Amino acid sequence: MKQNTPSALYLPGGLLFLGLFVLPMAGLFIESLRFYEPGSIGSAADAPFTLDNYAELLKASFAGFLWQTVKVSLLASVVGIILAFPMAYWIARRLSPQWRSLALGFFVTLMFLSVLVRTYALELTFGATGPFGSILREIGIATNGRGYIQVLVAAGLLHYIIPMSTLTLLGTIQSVDPRLNEAAQVLGAPNWKAHLSVTMPLCMRGVLASFLFGFTFSISAFVIPMILGKGRVLFISNLIYTRFSEIANYPSGAAISVVLFALAMLIVYVLTRLVNRSIQQ
Amino acid sequence: MTMLTRRQAMQTAAASLALSSVGFMSRAAGTVELTAVEWGGGVIDAMKEIAAKQDKVTFNWVLHQGGSGAILPKIKATWPNSEFDYVAGWEGSFNGMLKEDWLVPVTVDMIPNLADIPPKIIVKNANGDWMAVPRAVGGIYFAYRDDICPVKITSIDDLFDPSLKGKICWPGPTQSMMLQLVALSLHAGGDENNLEPGWELMKKLAQSGNIGRIAVTDTDFTTSLTSGETVCGFYSEPQLTDVAKAFPVTRLTKQEGMPVFLYQSGFAVFQNRPNLQATLDFINFAISPEMSELYAEVAGEAPLNTKAKTPDALKHLSFTPEEFDKYVYVPDFNVVLTQQDAWAKRWEDEIAPLL
Repeated sequence: MKQNTPSALYLPGGLLFLGLFVLPMAGLFIESLRFYEPGSIGSAADAPFTLDNYAELLKASFAGFLWQTVKVSLLASVVGIILAFPMAYWIARRLSPQWRSLALGFFVTLMFLSVLVRTYALELTFGATGPFGSILREIGIATNGRGYIQVLVAAGLLHYIIPMSTLTLLGTIQSVDPRLNEAAQVLGAPNWKAHLSVTMPLCMRGVLASFLFGFTFSISAFVIPMILGKGRVLFISNLIYTRFSEIANYPSGAAISVVLFALAMLIVYVLTRLVNRSIQQ
Repeated sequence: MTMLTRRQAMQTAAASLALSSVGFMSRAAGTVELTAVEWGGGVIDAMKEIAAKQDKVTFNWVLHQGGSGAILPKIKATWPNSEFDYVAGWEGSFNGMLKEDWLVPVTVDMIPNLADIPPKIIVKNANGDWMAVPRAVGGIYFAYRDDICPVKITSIDDLFDPSLKGKICWPGPTQSMMLQLVALSLHAGGDENNLEPGWELMKKLAQSGNIGRIAVTDTDFTTSLTSGETVCGFYSEPQLTDVAKAFPVTRLTKQEGMPVFLYQSGFAVFQNRPNLQATLDFINFAISPEMSELYAEVAGEAPLNTKAKTPDALKHLSFTPEEFDKYVYVPDFNVVLTQQDAWAKRWEDEIAPLL
């Protein structure tokens, strides 16, 4: 009986969550329903309610921005997992405890390196005037092309996704008993098959978690597309910033924010359901 | 060896503290700290030099991030508790502040050096009150780097030259109040009230592939041109001055068919601040003939004080009445301001996918 009653220990965290997340989000949602008069700063206190701010998001151009954000984020998150998993496996299974600690420290340090420093480092190296820029142009890659800029933005996202995913997967892989793999091999499975049929399924929850970390980080990225996107490859976050900070149309910015939030929640929910179902089967 | 007792040590420390406090308090009593918002680059350098030439006020400088309109939501968020004593701006951002009724009206009695500023250029509210203090005039126009631009640009049509592929730095939809679109529109027979021809031309320019970078901040523009990533663009004077410090730049301010927009850079004084008199006194000092000349030299904007001399480096921004009629276009800023939201959205709809 006692176990079903909420513990008072939840109270501080709950209040904090209510004050710092639920209430601001509720305010944002209400703002998204306000009428905006062009030329003013935000909506008036007595502005009437309207659905226009959401209706204008049904345009093809918004779908284009959304698709661009999701596409580049998906690309970066998938590549991030593909690169991070073998690294995490190698660190967890092959390295001595001393080297493992060093590797762990290296990835943690990477997480703390300023996003601006990394982004400008990429821009200076691979941008139109960087040393690799001229090499790429020599082999026929247009460094001012839209495709190249999208790849550069994805590379900027990978700077965060790889260390984040590696650290997440490290814990997952370490918690899988290596003797299970050995048992599969004793029973006749080749190494690759034992790995794919035993280790991988047991790591799927961790893989999903690190994919979701990477993906949610990517779709809400702001600085990376702003700098590497050259104003031509823009994410939804950049649109939100423009609406709030540049043209002061708070209701429209709030509507885009609510849509982005709902989309992120939906993706997390659907992917979690799918992975859980496949694991249960 | 002289020994110091604990009591003596305490007394010495207390005396030292009291003496240093007297010095600090006498300095603090004569100095007021103001919080002001300025542009970066040459403008903030100029204002720091001006501030250093007086000792009545010290500054907590805040820089504009993005366009000058970006500060407006931040002010609105804390209003009526303004965090800033003055905000540097231009007609576009001043109009937004006027609409919100944030500003202190100014007069010659309050700022005596205003008597030397042409009244025609001063921003006024519906009652005709002066609502901002102009300090200089800047220009927004087309320019290119002589040393690396593959073509001699003499007309907007030249921007479509295939040799400029990826070489144009174009202002983003929230930069320069979209006057770049008005410039295209003027070329194609429209204006700010009829922007359709401008949009059509903008689509063609975006489709041409000649735009290499969309500048969303002033720094984007300067960095792109100085690094050689792009070679030409449409931007404002302080940024072009920065580029011209290191590279030869042709400024198309007196080229038929290449419209020039002049704007006034100035001070908007905010209500509900404790140091109004000190702010007004500093602004009066900053627009004096000597300080106007200093500002022009460092910031690259021509002085508006009629008693100040325009530096030779800014002669391209000084127009005879005939030249003014021929090259300078003065848009209706009320139209420009109220259309920002619609124009930015249309940019997202029609132009961004083509870039």
